[in-house]
Amino acid sequence: MKTSHLLIALTLFFPTVQAGTIEMTVNGLVCGFCAQGIEKTLRKNPATADVLVSLENRLVAVMTKDGADITDADLRKALTDAGYDVKAIERTGRSMNELRARLKAGT
Amino acid sequence: MKIFFGRLAVPLALSMSAACGSAVAKPIAFADGTTVMAEYGAGTMTEFQAFYAPTFRYSLGGGHLSLNSAENDDTRDITYLRLNYLPKRWNFESAQANVFVWGGLGRAHIGETGADEFTWNAGGQLDYETRRVYASLRMDYYDASAFSHRIDTLQLGIAPYEHDYETLAVWFVVQAREYTGDLFDGTEWAGLIRLFKHNAWLEAGATREGKLQAMLMFNF
Repeated sequence: MKTSHLLIALTLFFPTVQAGTIEMTVNGLVCGFCAQGIEKTLRKNPATADVLVSLENRLVAVMTKDGADITDADLRKALTDAGYDVKAIERTGRSMNELRARLKAGT
Repeated sequence: MKIFFGRLAVPLALSMSAACGSAVAKPIAFADGTTVMAEYGAGTMTEFQAFYAPTFRYSLGGGHLSLNSAENDDTRDITYLRLNYLPKRWNFESAQANVFVWGGLGRAHIGETGADEFTWNAGGQLDYETRRVYASLRMDYYDASAFSHRIDTLQLGIAPYEHDYETLAVWFVVQAREYTGDLFDGTEWAGLIRLFKHNAWLEAGATREGKLQAMLMFNF
């Protein structure tokens, strides 16, 4: 009991940022060169662990490294500076592998 | 002025009647990107270009253009430095449209006289593309004291399927090109197939006269 209370207290007082996936809906994604440029831009960010681009789903997903994060403002700036328009940003618990599987299955 | 609009009338009408957009080669691929390109244009033009884009708005670089008249023995070898600029981009839900302009300076070797001259060039491109259709209209102008040439190129393309980042993009393209300055009489029509995946682009086909039209491009 004491251990669980200690864990809760530690979580409350020392919150850690876990690796997460950020999914963005982007306008203007029509060719592989678009995807290449976006991937190159996002991979420059030291917090980026993986990038996934789907033209079909107008989706750009970024998985951040453990303990790291990229703010919405930084993501919007990166995509705008790459020449594209971000329409929505959502932080999900999906892993990149899960996301790839869902895109492949078309769900 | 009359000649300018007269020459543009056919490709503009075709663009409008097609009412579709373009996925044509762009002089600026993406921010912090380098583009190298080689084109063989049915024996009339051969061009090599290399550009670096610090941002998606502009790129800097140079190229070499060889023009060989199909009508006489005139040849021009033009080496130039160029600035490309993207003044306007529209990002739609499933489409993109762009307006590019460019200008540059260089040296031209005039084959029939052996003279070397200062030359300048300017041009522009309108394009619109989805993952199934595209259209582009491009104009290049080269000027020196011994010559002036305009090259207008219209491309209309259709893809048999919608490609994604990890799949091969296939396009069937019809190209119409006109030259001024006694380089080619009339409109040069070509049918092309274009393939690209990741950073590599290959386009090849033939003109109505059976001559090779091809382009190779890499972005990195």
